[in-house]
Amino acid sequence: MEKVLEINGLTKIFKNGRGIRDIWLEVYRGDIFGFLGPNGAGKTTAMKIMTGLMRADRGDVKIFGYSINDEFEKAMERVGCIIETAESYPYLTAYENLRQFSRYYTGIGDERIDEVLKLTGIFKYKNEKVKNFSLGMKQRLGIAAAILSKPEFVILDEPLNGLDVEGMVEMRKLIKRLAETEKTTFFISSHLIHDVELTCNRIGIIFDGKILSVGYTDDILKDYASLEDYFISEVERNGKI
Amino acid sequence: MERFKAAFINEIEKIYKKKKAIVLVIISLVVIALGQLMITGVRIGLGVRGASSTEFPILVLSVFVNTILPLFVALVSIDMFAGEFSQNTMKIIITRPVTRLKLFSAKIAAVAFFAILNLLVVMILSTLTGFLFNSVSVTAAGLIRIVVSYLITLIPVVTLALIIIFFANIFRSGAASFFLVIILFVVFKVMEFVFPQYSSLFITSMLNWYNLWLADVLPFGKILRQLLIMSGYAIMFFTAGYYLFDKKDL
Repeated sequence: MEKVLEINGLTKIFKNGRGIRDIWLEVYRGDIFGFLGPNGAGKTTAMKIMTGLMRADRGDVKIFGYSINDEFEKAMERVGCIIETAESYPYLTAYENLRQFSRYYTGIGDERIDEVLKLTGIFKYKNEKVKNFSLGMKQRLGIAAAILSKPEFVILDEPLNGLDVEGMVEMRKLIKRLAETEKTTFFISSHLIHDVELTCNRIGIIFDGKILSVGYTDDILKDYASLEDYFISEVERNGKI
Repeated sequence: MERFKAAFINEIEKIYKKKKAIVLVIISLVVIALGQLMITGVRIGLGVRGASSTEFPILVLSVFVNTILPLFVALVSIDMFAGEFSQNTMKIIITRPVTRLKLFSAKIAAVAFFAILNLLVVMILSTLTGFLFNSVSVTAAGLIRIVVSYLITLIPVVTLALIIIFFANIFRSGAASFFLVIILFVVFKVMEFVFPQYSSLFITSMLNWYNLWLADVLPFGKILRQLLIMSGYAIMFFTAGYYLFDKKDL
């Protein structure tokens, strides 16, 4: 199987002693990888390093075989992401925001912008300034921006934040559809265990800056009644060590 | 290069959409109008010929380059770095397939573009005003002096912008950076007068270097020396600013 993401011995320790320690992880093409962990476990830190927002103390991240330290542009060419919060320029309209991002890719024109706006259900606000958007609308725009370039690998940090129930269901559908039709690989962090269970086919648990376990959802659900039980048992087991 | 271009166009679009450029043009217009009013007032009230048509643009430049232009260059540069860091909008570009070096250079190029555009607008407006309201004494030499003075002013302005950008990468808050830059500007201006023998080290004195180009016999030695000092400042602060920008964790 083709490796889309390869994390090798990633370490980043903050001044307060927290951070991530020696993380190894692989994500294969077609995976919808769920990155589960409690608040402060290091999910966002790991994802920030993966996307070039932070520099690691040690270790390397390779996306499609390109190191983000040495070949950043090539590594990020086929990646779309939302990290922590979906940000956009408040003084630009939804369309202008997407137009800004589209300039970094070839072959992404107005048609594609309209398409992602429709996919995320905010097409009617196309020419409205983002400063008037609600949190959920900003989140949808963030997702539109993340999938704009037809990325083969999408990294989403808490993608359901701020979305209403309808939005959550739609987003789940969108992720599944992209995974099936476009063979997009996903890396999704979430604290909503139920949602991860419904969306992801492979799961990694991070706790206290370390990866505790990685497994396929189907296999896990054979042994445990729900992902929540598995998560609690994994954390408890490691907490005792 | 494609990605640098994309980043550059994006930065220009952002400056334009934030309406700062338009505000600056309006303020420049007001300054030119006030300047012209003053000169007309002096001429009518005192009977002194304030400035001839080709002198007027240079007079406007001397005011513009020491006040409004650095202020707006500071505003735009700080907004582009400290402002984007504090509003968290910096990360939307950093996660795109463009290296931080290209991004950093594109932002500086956009500031330079903003500065040259403003200089050109003020040059054209003040030249027109000069012709309309003052005694007509148009000479080709006079026009060339105007164009040269305005164009070469870009060099000290960009050097100043690089220093400002360095500070805008130290602080995460735009207000703190702006405050510091203003204080530094004032301190440098005062130091120019207190220690005139070292004035060329205080970069703010370079803003007036167009004066050297107005002399009848060009003082090549002086021009070269000032150019080298400015290049030195520019290289140092570009490198230091990029280092900070590249190392920054978001």
